[in-house]
Amino acid sequence: MVKSTEKNLSNFLQIKKYKMETITIKETISKLLESILDHNNFEMHDELTAKDVDGWDSLSHMMILTKIEEAFNIKFKLRDLNKLKNMGSLVSVIQSKI
Amino acid sequence: MIFNSLSFVVFLVPVLLIYWSFFRKNSSYQNIILLISSLIFYAYADYRFLILLILSIGINYFLGLKIRRSEKELIQRRFLYLGLIFNIGLLIYFKYFNFFYEGFVKILNIFSIDANYNTLNILLPIGISFFTFQTLGYLIDVYNEEINPSNNLLEFSLFISYFPKILSGPIERAKSLIPQIEKKRIFSYEVFTDGLRQILWGLFAKMVIAEKCAEIVNPIFDNYENHSGSLLLIGSFFYAIQLYADFSGYSNMAIGISKLFGIQLMRNFATPFFSTNISDYWRKWHISLTTWMMDYVFTPLSFTLRSYQKRGLVISIIATFILVGFWHGANWTFIFYGLLHGLYFIPLVYSGKMNKSQIVAKGKLIPSFKELFKMLALFVLIMLTDIFFRANTVTEAFNYIASIFSYSLFKFPNELLSSSYLIGFVLLAFFILVEWKHRERHHDFEISNYNIIIRWSWYIIIFLLILFFGKSSETFIYFQF
Repeated sequence: MVKSTEKNLSNFLQIKKYKMETITIKETISKLLESILDHNNFEMHDELTAKDVDGWDSLSHMMILTKIEEAFNIKFKLRDLNKLKNMGSLVSVIQSKI
Repeated sequence: MIFNSLSFVVFLVPVLLIYWSFFRKNSSYQNIILLISSLIFYAYADYRFLILLILSIGINYFLGLKIRRSEKELIQRRFLYLGLIFNIGLLIYFKYFNFFYEGFVKILNIFSIDANYNTLNILLPIGISFFTFQTLGYLIDVYNEEINPSNNLLEFSLFISYFPKILSGPIERAKSLIPQIEKKRIFSYEVFTDGLRQILWGLFAKMVIAEKCAEIVNPIFDNYENHSGSLLLIGSFFYAIQLYADFSGYSNMAIGISKLFGIQLMRNFATPFFSTNISDYWRKWHISLTTWMMDYVFTPLSFTLRSYQKRGLVISIIATFILVGFWHGANWTFIFYGLLHGLYFIPLVYSGKMNKSQIVAKGKLIPSFKELFKMLALFVLIMLTDIFFRANTVTEAFNYIASIFSYSLFKFPNELLSSSYLIGFVLLAFFILVEWKHRERHHDFEISNYNIIIRWSWYIIIFLLILFFGKSSETFIYFQF
């Protein structure tokens, strides 16, 4: 009984830790986007795509990715690029690397 | 057989009837009739290369499956490389061999090595630039796990050889075409009539506008040394319109014909001259090629060079556009054409004004003065660059441009007053106005929402224009690529 409670608790904490990270990652990306694109007219959520954000086009895309790599100290692979469909997938690719 | 010929009608009508009657039972039946017709169609265009097409289908089908079924990434990559070598090799051999060979011998000559060369007499298999790009994209998508490889040889063969697009595109993606031929197609009256409308507009663009422009352009370009700068400028204006009308007309026919079979091909042109900057123009011009280049050349290249920031971007853009130019043919004129377009992007990259594709004066009847000015300035830039596209050599293109900007630029060209030119301008004005009116729609002649009397008046007007002014030549500009 006690054990299972402990397990639940640790699960809960892990989920919480995971959620915290997701939120921090998103906050960091938000700030990066703001500084690169000079505006914050977008709402951060998992379904957000480059199309919804003014100025996020194929050209600024690479600069955004470079800044993200620097900020999280990670390296994307070319294959990762195709997995980046929206903000949710970007966050999970980042999570898989830190 | 080209789309605007009687022999094509004789081919198309029975195929359509059989397709929607005896063979409509399921997708396999539909695909069988389409595949057989496609192979006949290709053989009719050039039977000598039918074997090559079949070989390419077989090898790419096999490699797609091999890439996915190999467990180690290293092996997958080897099969991908094999496919890249095969497809690019085909293209280089048939299209670029003499170009590289000649260049190589010239370099030897520079170093005083005496070498002679006889260029090989290699015939260009029709449609090769289009179908090899499709197979290349397919293998890369399979490798990147973007799509599953096709395990149905019938469907895969049809994906490559489907006759509405085999000769000159649009360059289709497996992602969008294969799912459509996996399912049984059900007849839709709306789609069918929309296809007919799009064909009608394509016929008009090709047979009336492009042919009329050709009639004016050819004598000017063929004898440019003897014309005034003002007439040369007019010649380059008509050529830019000819190129657009010829290829967008072809594309509208191809897409329209495919709609008759219930298959949607990708859009190839989105009224590109109604753009206010060069990047917007390229998002609307030959879309199936530019998006291909974007996905398979520009993105990997700019990704590799991303640490060089904007310089990396500029290098990637220029390299991509040189390749876009070179894709059209083994000639320095095309390389120059691509290079120039790449250079035009530099101010945009540094000013950070890379906008998304947008419709000029959306929801309005006419553009603002500023928009109009930007569109015109861009058009002049494009039409001058198109001279490289049309000229036989780079020197000829430079001479042509130099002759434009001479004192005779201010000489009034008397040809303008001839009936041929006047008719040309009136037809062009009509063409441009209709395109402008429909710039927010799915295609240039999407008028399904008009009431029936207006719709039919349109059809009759266009039909009569084709009847009175239409001409039929045996080819399209893009068939040579």
